[in-house]
Amino acid sequence: MSLLDILLILLRIAFGAFVPLSFVAVLVWMERRGAGFFQDRAGPNRCHVMGFRAGGLIQNLADGVKLIFKEDVVPAHITHKFYFILAPMLVFVTALLCFAVIPFADVLVIGSKEYIMQAVPLDIGILWFLAIVGFGVYGIILAGWSSHNKYGVLGGLRAASQVISYEIPMGLALVSLLVVYGTVNMTEIAQYQGQLLFGFIPMWGVVVQPLGVIIFIIAAFAETNRTPFDLAEGESEIVAGFHVEYSSMKFALFFLGEYVAMFVSSALIVTLYFGSFQIPWFATETLLFYATEVAVAIMVGLPIGAYFFAGWIRKNNKSHYDRPNDPRRREATVYIGLLWLMVMLVEVVLLGYLVFAQNGIADRLLVMILQTGTFLIKTTMMCFVYVWVRWTLPRFRYDQLQKIGWEKLMPLALLNIFITSAVIVSFG
Amino acid sequence: MGETVKLFVNSQEVEVAAGKNLIDALAVAGIQIPHFCYHPALGADGNCRMCLVEIEEGRPPVVPACKTPAMEGMKVVLDSAMIKKVQQDMLEFELINHPVDCPVCDQAGECDLQDYYMAYSLEESRMDVPQVNKKKKLDFGCGVVHDQERCVLCGRCVRFTRQITETGELGIVNRTDAARVDIFPGKPLDNRYALNIVDLCPVGAMTSSDFRFKQRAWFLTRDKGVCHGCAKGCNMYIDHHREKYGDDIIYRYRARTNLQVNGYFICDEGRMSYHLQNNDRQTETIVGGASVSFDDGIKAVVEKLNQAKKPLMIVSPNSTVGQMWAVLRIATLYGGDVSGYSDGYIIEGSGDDYLIHEDKSANRRGLELLAIKQDRAHLLETLGNADLVLNFDNDFHFSAHDIEVAKLLSEKDYVAICSHRLTAFETASVVIPIASYSEYDGVIINHDDVIQRFSRAVHKNNPPKDIVEITRLLGGAITDWKRAWPGIRQTISLLREVEPDQIPEEGMKLMNSGEPDVTA
Amino acid sequence: MGAKIKVVERKGKTFFEQLYLIEIFKGMAVTVGHFFRNLRDNSNLYVRHYPEVKPEITPRWRGRHRLTLHEDGSIKCVACFMCQTNCPSECIMIEAGEREDGVSEKMPVKFEIDLLECIYCGYCVEACPMDAIRMDSGVFSVTSSNRENMMIGIAELIEPPGAFNEDEYQKGVG
Repeated sequence: MSLLDILLILLRIAFGAFVPLSFVAVLVWMERRGAGFFQDRAGPNRCHVMGFRAGGLIQNLADGVKLIFKEDVVPAHITHKFYFILAPMLVFVTALLCFAVIPFADVLVIGSKEYIMQAVPLDIGILWFLAIVGFGVYGIILAGWSSHNKYGVLGGLRAASQVISYEIPMGLALVSLLVVYGTVNMTEIAQYQGQLLFGFIPMWGVVVQPLGVIIFIIAAFAETNRTPFDLAEGESEIVAGFHVEYSSMKFALFFLGEYVAMFVSSALIVTLYFGSFQIPWFATETLLFYATEVAVAIMVGLPIGAYFFAGWIRKNNKSHYDRPNDPRRREATVYIGLLWLMVMLVEVVLLGYLVFAQNGIADRLLVMILQTGTFLIKTTMMCFVYVWVRWTLPRFRYDQLQKIGWEKLMPLALLNIFITSAVIVSFG
Repeated sequence: MGETVKLFVNSQEVEVAAGKNLIDALAVAGIQIPHFCYHPALGADGNCRMCLVEIEEGRPPVVPACKTPAMEGMKVVLDSAMIKKVQQDMLEFELINHPVDCPVCDQAGECDLQDYYMAYSLEESRMDVPQVNKKKKLDFGCGVVHDQERCVLCGRCVRFTRQITETGELGIVNRTDAARVDIFPGKPLDNRYALNIVDLCPVGAMTSSDFRFKQRAWFLTRDKGVCHGCAKGCNMYIDHHREKYGDDIIYRYRARTNLQVNGYFICDEGRMSYHLQNNDRQTETIVGGASVSFDDGIKAVVEKLNQAKKPLMIVSPNSTVGQMWAVLRIATLYGGDVSGYSDGYIIEGSGDDYLIHEDKSANRRGLELLAIKQDRAHLLETLGNADLVLNFDNDFHFSAHDIEVAKLLSEKDYVAICSHRLTAFETASVVIPIASYSEYDGVIINHDDVIQRFSRAVHKNNPPKDIVEITRLLGGAITDWKRAWPGIRQTISLLREVEPDQIPEEGMKLMNSGEPDVTA
Repeated sequence: MGAKIKVVERKGKTFFEQLYLIEIFKGMAVTVGHFFRNLRDNSNLYVRHYPEVKPEITPRWRGRHRLTLHEDGSIKCVACFMCQTNCPSECIMIEAGEREDGVSEKMPVKFEIDLLECIYCGYCVEACPMDAIRMDSGVFSVTSSNRENMMIGIAELIEPPGAFNEDEYQKGVG
């Protein structure tokens, strides 16, 4: 095993482990500020470090500090302390493990070696995901049960029955998808979506499986216990459900787990239905072929984008009341300065690439970075959909939830399998 | 109800007792006739004119109800336009010079003038000339404060001092709007029942300086009680209240009518004895000079009892029959003697021929009926033999002549089970706090052989335990005095027919009172 | 039987509405419209930047209580306990005493309000026969870092002046 091998293994594992975690911060921020803007509020924007609010991101830091320093209460009535402590770990770890099989870029070819860009390069891909995600709900059930609390048990039970109900349509939707792709390997699925249908439509899952994508997304919402399917928490009826007895970092683990799960499930939806890391019309080979042009296009586009972004910062980062020497103006100036600094940095790197390192391995790295970026942007957008749905739709009633799962989604998923199979069999 | 007559009130037939005036007779039937000056104890005066009623086909047609006896076939009209006008006009008349200072008046909430105004008048004042100003906050002595402006000149107070106490300190001086109740110059109220005037006054003209501004009347919980101040056992109301974040305390006693025992009044001394229920209470459990938890205190006493060869139990003549019985039982259990020595409670010459008895204990008859020896010789003898003394709230130091007993006592191991901090209990090595009579229920028998039942009024935040409960904790078998009643009934022949739940509110005169007949 | 019957149209029965998804997308279109409008320009949010921008208080606003004074500076309260009697949360605790200044016979020796218990219903103000207690201090933020400070006595109660002039207040209350 060469040094490069070890380096790339470390890189991929680091990506698989730390990207979901860092995205938690982004997602929580997106959720809160997003909720604010959806409801014509501001969202958290007061926390700051020496006057820098980072658009509200500092609030996450404050929350993190608070959660770490809070008293970690294990109520005296809890008899199964081991399971009580195990539960949040289970929720968190399973959510994180799911991400391991998701490819974030196309296979990297260096010399004669191929590196599959997944944290864990497994062939079984989607099956791993299904196995682990089903395991995650054990954490919730365990938490509810070991809390020895009626609300906790109710929350746990709800989560259990909800997962059973929605894993079936989810699995069935996947069946028809797999019939189309003909593989369970995630990287191959992603590569498949780089093709073009009729020569001009990107052959994404959403195009070939329009009914499947709806079923899958709904089921994925239910699997992650997000609104409108967050009955396991149900603040209004069962106070907080399964995590009612948890505090401090144990609660924080549930919280992190929930957002990691949301990120992972977004990543999965993107991988299966929205072309994964593929940039539409620019398959890996095309990108490699036009690497120079792409680099130039970025060098030109980046300052233009940054200019508008700077304008937006200037416009919105100000105090909305009379204030002498508005410190937020100064704050904005710093942000804009930093923005241009970053742009300069990227420009310099790209210039260096154009001048010194064209062709060969640098092309492939550039493509990898572009694809990773595309993947993350798509996933973030999917996460935004999660937030968007949460602040639009009210929670389902419990019977409605079961009704949709069994009476609507399952027949639809079966119908979808039938249609898909018929089309595949007849056209080829 | 003895003889009855049938009469008509607002053309409804009502059957009432014969021989009473209309106010009393109809009140029994639940029909109220407003009145200021009439009081059953003081008789009809007929000066306030508030009780005027219309008699159909009567001559004269409008008569004062207080002076009109209920008669067969009488047609009384209370709701005619004329009577309503009369009542309204009378109230307007009373209110002409009334200061309407209800916010600062202690009577507010239990004021007849207030109630009648709300029920019968509700008219605006038509006064456009300045009101007559009289004196306020006059000290009439004996803790009675008089406000001449609020007075409606019903004369109840004047008649009380003339008819009941026969001291005649009060009188109405001047006429018309200058008329007022006053004392003779330099001669304030001086009798032992003066504070009954405060109860009697239908308005806020007579208030008690003791209760003044302490609490508003509507906050008070009125529970029925029996005074333990002397052997008379007067009936009274215990007015108590728990302030927020505070404890349940008694604010005043008021006389409760019981014609069999005390009539309509109580003495001032008894009325003021509520202070003793609030103050100087023993709240701590003390063992060997140190404050300990109640359970530890009981443990210490049980230990002492188990080691003692000959314990002596001293019962208080204030205890209920059930408590005395419980102490007797526990004395039998531990093989001890029982003494009810309480000569100190009797203060010669302190009584009178009306309500005040010279025996300041409430249940001496109970001691006698249970054959508990009260003589000094017996006490001195048993005290000499005893190695442990348990005093159940008996105050030797009530009078000064028992220093000898105290000296003898100080040589013994002395356990005081007491409700108050008194000198009699100071030498005790163990002190256990217990409930006082406002905090438990039971029966007592007064000097006149009237057995009276009273129930618990005050519920303290940390309620002290009753003697019966203490004896149970010390190993006794009695959990509740009512369960022990069959045993008590067998012991005391006088109580053979008495069932505690059947004792009426006004008490029950025990018949065939004779020598105690004790078998136990 | 003159009751008016208004027939309300029940929505959600047509096929497209039964599909849910279309309606969901409509709703999402509405919310995302708000999102982008606010993202583009956050100056139109329906919020007040509270600690810096104080809300405007009308004379009818029930703020922290105050005890009013006569013109000679003596307290108007005569300790009639009307406020304590009417207080639904039993947060007023008065102790009355003899008054020697000739204004009345009675005055509060102790007048305590437990602000932690108070629900700001204003019944005390309505009950007061002397106009001695008002809630027009204009203090709407009652905070403290310990419980004891939330129990305020006469000194704190007579300290704040009214936040409105008499005419405005009377108009608001009357």
